Amino acid sequence: SFVPHAEVTRYSLPGKPALTRCRSPEKETFTCWWEPGSDGGLPTTYALYYRKENSEMVYECPDYHTAGKNSCFFNKNDTSIWVNYNITVVASNALGSTFSDPVDIDVVYIVKPNPPEKVAVTVMEDKGWPFLRVSWEPPHKADTRSGWITLIYELRVKLEGENEWEMHLAGQQKMFNIFSLRSGGRYLVQVRCKPDHGFWSEWSSASHIKVPDYFHRERSVWIL
Amino acid sequence: VLYMVAACKAVPISDLLDRASQRSDRLHSLSTMLTRELDSHFPPIGRMIMPRPAMCHTSSLQTPNDKEQALQVSESDLLSLARSLLRAWVDPLLVLSSSANTLPHPAQNSISNKIQELQEHSKNLGDGLNILSGKMGPAAQTMSLLPYRGGNDLGQDKISKLINFQFLLSCFRRDSHKIDSFLKVLRCRAAKMQPEMC
Repeated sequence: SFVPHAEVTRYSLPGKPALTRCRSPEKETFTCWWEPGSDGGLPTTYALYYRKENSEMVYECPDYHTAGKNSCFFNKNDTSIWVNYNITVVASNALGSTFSDPVDIDVVYIVKPNPPEKVAVTVMEDKGWPFLRVSWEPPHKADTRSGWITLIYELRVKLEGENEWEMHLAGQQKMFNIFSLRSGGRYLVQVRCKPDHGFWSEWSSASHIKVPDYFHRERSVWIL
Repeated sequence: VLYMVAACKAVPISDLLDRASQRSDRLHSLSTMLTRELDSHFPPIGRMIMPRPAMCHTSSLQTPNDKEQALQVSESDLLSLARSLLRAWVDPLLVLSSSANTLPHPAQNSISNKIQELQEHSKNLGDGLNILSGKMGPAAQTMSLLPYRGGNDLGQDKISKLINFQFLLSCFRRDSHKIDSFLKVLRCRAAKMQPEMC
């Protein structure tokens, strides 16, 4: 009886998995991620089940692959809005199953877009003074043209090597001019977007730009 | 008055829709702030026993529930959905407003002020949508009636008051998001001349 006892203590039910996050990038699809619980010492499989408001039918996750490990992706056909999804993750091994706490979500409350795309920064000149013109496009997945999603944008700018960012809210515009630049300064520029009701995207990757040495030029004019 | 009527008539539909969607945007944002404020002191049992969204008095109204469906709905039908939903909230907003004065909640004052703001915005939005529907022809004038039968009282004890208040608000939050979404789709259809708006 010594050996079976050792077996019992070594193997156990899987630990409780936890649904950690659900996100929709464009109000048309969404993904939920979970974290596995502790390992019961046996091969463990995970399944995500959901039930939609006003229906007793229970469905299994339609796509475990598209969004990577420990995730479930709901494509356009599987995504409804203004409808609550009740979602549970089940971890199973040879000894049995453990359920996560269920989570209720409505896709309209979890919208966080991808960052703006094609961010371009150019040096322009106005009466001899340089300024930066920053332009960008909405994330291509977000359908802003039909009005299905409305995005506002924010920029941040800083001199290379400094800590402080300067923030600018651009509203719905997809272009912004930045003045009062340091002569010869190297700047970093990033843009992010927020839907009318939802969360800020991550920042776009930094665009680098060098402002020409206009100050020396100006001063030399003065001395002359 | 005549001058104002004339001025009103001169305002293009796209401008009216732009103003309307600014109001509907604010309406939904307010309801989100209110939900968060209430959540800060919500009895834990409330999450278990709060009625399901299907119990909302507007849940019988058939509305699109994804982009594909929404974009297929005609302009006049989108407007009449938005107006039906807004009309359905006149009475329950009164109930929320009178209950907010005695709500057993530490942020009662701020909640009460926001509910009042909610009422003012929905009244103004309703007036604006009436003008719009007049300009958009007879099909935009039809409305579905969605009577509220919840009574004037949200409950006797502290817990029922809070739960019923939060429940009504969650229904309003969803409906105001629908109204806002429909109006913003309409705004973009009307703004074909200035695509930079969308």
